[in-house]
This record gives sequence, structure tokens and C-alpha cells, in this order.
Amino acid sequence: MALRMWASSTANALRISCASKPHLSLAFSFSRCFSTVLDGLKYSSSHEWVKHDGSVATIGITDHAQDHLGEVVFVELPEPGGSATQGKGFGAVESVKATSDVNSPISGEIVEVNSKLSEAPGLINSSSYEEGWMIKVKPSSPSELESLMGSKEYAKFCEEEDASH
Amino acid sequence: MRGPRKLEVWKMGFVNYLDALKLQEKLVYNRKLCRIPDTLLSLQHPPTYTIGKRRTDHNLLIPSSELKNIGAELHYTQRGGDITFHGPRQAILYPIISLREIGLGARNYVEKLELTMIELSSLYGVKACAGQKGETGVWVGERKIGAIGVRISHGITSHGLAFNIDPDLKYFKHIVPCGITDKEVTSLSRETSTMLPSEEVMHEQLISCFARLFGYNTVVWKENPSILSDLEEIE
Repeated sequence: MALRMWASSTANALRISCASKPHLSLAFSFSRCFSTVLDGLKYSSSHEWVKHDGSVATIGITDHAQDHLGEVVFVELPEPGGSATQGKGFGAVESVKATSDVNSPISGEIVEVNSKLSEAPGLINSSSYEEGWMIKVKPSSPSELESLMGSKEYAKFCEEEDASH
Repeated sequence: MRGPRKLEVWKMGFVNYLDALKLQEKLVYNRKLCRIPDTLLSLQHPPTYTIGKRRTDHNLLIPSSELKNIGAELHYTQRGGDITFHGPRQAILYPIISLREIGLGARNYVEKLELTMIELSSLYGVKACAGQKGETGVWVGERKIGAIGVRISHGITSHGLAFNIDPDLKYFKHIVPCGITDKEVTSLSRETSTMLPSEEVMHEQLISCFARLFGYNTVVWKENPSILSDLEEIE
């Protein structure tokens, strides 16, 4: 069952620019919807990102997602050792009195979860692609990555979704 | 692509909390599969305390064994938000809608729920406003008149808002409402000098405010809604 990581609300809503991390080798592009979309990552239609690095994939929610959620005050994450399934929920975040399920973009074994998020759930807002990562997964079907969107496609997807409002 | 948007409203009267929860689960499942349109449940609960996903039990100030004595139930839920009370003469709306179809995120959705209650209050000359940062809900000065607690799963909403028309506010003394210690709870009847119409009229006004704020072109009232609806069961 899910490991419930209760977290006290933080006031940290500062955005940390990706450009301030010199070790980050990804180039990034700004979409017209003014959320950051990083090149080199893959994206799901429910606004999660995947960074595939050798045998492990890191997963989190995108800048667009955190912006639309508001300040995250609580994160529920699974236990390591559990399994993730593409398109199915693995955890949840709470913001503005709304709990939102977070879905896994790929399937595989969950090998690590970000324990920092219990004390600092706001990392999801301030550093959605770096310190706000949620789980690491050993992908069981690498071909699933091909069904996900690239950065340009995802940026367009965000624009279209926002335009329907 | 924006087409005409339809909302189906179920006016349900008094519904037991667990029955409403089960119905919502079925509706969310069916909505996700696009088998039903955006749906709005309008109802009231018998005296019920509910706790959100963070399980803030410490905000229930009486032992749970005492609840029966005061005629109330307690339920744990997956919604956001802290502990709250639902009871007679509190108008509840549970929208089961697709946020992706209207391009809304959680924050904007909750803002519109707040506006729904603010608009209804203004019909009776009551100046309500949204809470400060971190205090989602609707306030008249320092007094809370409307609460929100929402769940979003695959972009489909459930749970929703609770607006105090004239509930028995003594029930709120047994909790730290919404986890906020130093603020009171109030009701429309306390805040307005205007005579309130029947509850049925007030519920319809609340529904109209919702429908207008969320841009629905068509509102369909479901005839004789039943908990035992012929919706598809969850597989």
C-alpha cells in the first residue's frame, strides 16, 4: 500500500531556474504557454515527465502541472519495491484542498522514491524537473517511451489544452 | 475545439455520505470513459464529519465513540482538505466533470468553486471572498461560510463544495474546522438580513451560479435520480 508521507505546509513557492544548475546537461526550451518544457525528456498527456538514464527512469510532474495545481502541501508516494503501470496512478499530491492523482508514464519496478518530499512538498513547485522528482523506476517495457510525447509535442499539447478554457 | 457544453444535474435531497461516495465513484468511472456528460450532484447529508486524505484525526475534538451520541457519523475520504462537518441545511454540490475538456487545472477549478459560493452569497447582500493563500474556502470577514474539498483522478473531479445556508453550527464545535484554529464558522442565515427562500430555491440558485461560472450552455435536470442508477459498474 502507499506510504503516506504527511508533510506540513511550506511557504516555499520560489521558482528555481534550471539554468542555475550547471551540471544539468539538458538544453531547455520555453513554450509559448510560459511553462518550462525540457528537451530530452518524455511527457505524458497527464503532465508527468520521464528522464530515461540507462537502466533507471526518473519520473515527476511537469512545470505546467505544478503551475495549474497551485502550492503543493502534501505528497503521497508508494513504497519502493512496488510496481508502476503505464497510465495508472502511483501517488497523489494535494494543493488548494484538492488531491490529484499522479500517473506513471511507464511501467516497471519502483526502485526509489523521493523522501525529501515529505518534509518539503513545495519542491514539486520550485523544482519540478530536478529536486521535485517523485519516483525512480526500472522500466519493464522500454518501448513504452516511444508512445510518449517529446518536448515540442508536449509544449503544443499544453497550449491546446489551455486554449480550450 | 469548443462545442456546446452540457451539464446534467441530479437533485438528490438527503443522501447518506457513503451512498453518495459510492455513486460518485461510479460516476467518475463512467465520466472517464465518456459514457456520461459532466454531472452535478446537488444534495444534503445527515450529520457527518469527514476527514481528508491527510487523515488529520487530531482535528476531531471528541472521541469517535461519542459521535453516535450526538447523532453523527465519521468517514475518511480521499479528497483534499482537512476535517469538516456536513449536515442538514448545508447545500452540497459534487461536480463530476472533466477538467481536461475545459482546460482547467486544480487551482482554477477550486477558484471557480469559491466564486460559485461567493456569487450565491452576493444574491443575499453578503460580501464573501475567497480565502487567503492556503485557506481555500469562502469567508465573510474572519468567518467561514463555505468549504471545499476535491479529488481529481485522471482529470475527473469528485467531492466538491459545501455551503452553509443554515446548518446547526454547534456541530462545528467538535472539530477544528478545516484545521484552522482561530476562525469561526458562519452561515448565510447569520450573515444576511434578507429573508431566505425555500431550500429548494437556494439549491437551484447555487446550481445556476455553478453552471454559469463554468460556462455550460445546456443544463439538463435528471428525472428521479436514484443511487441505484443503471450506470456501468466499475470493472
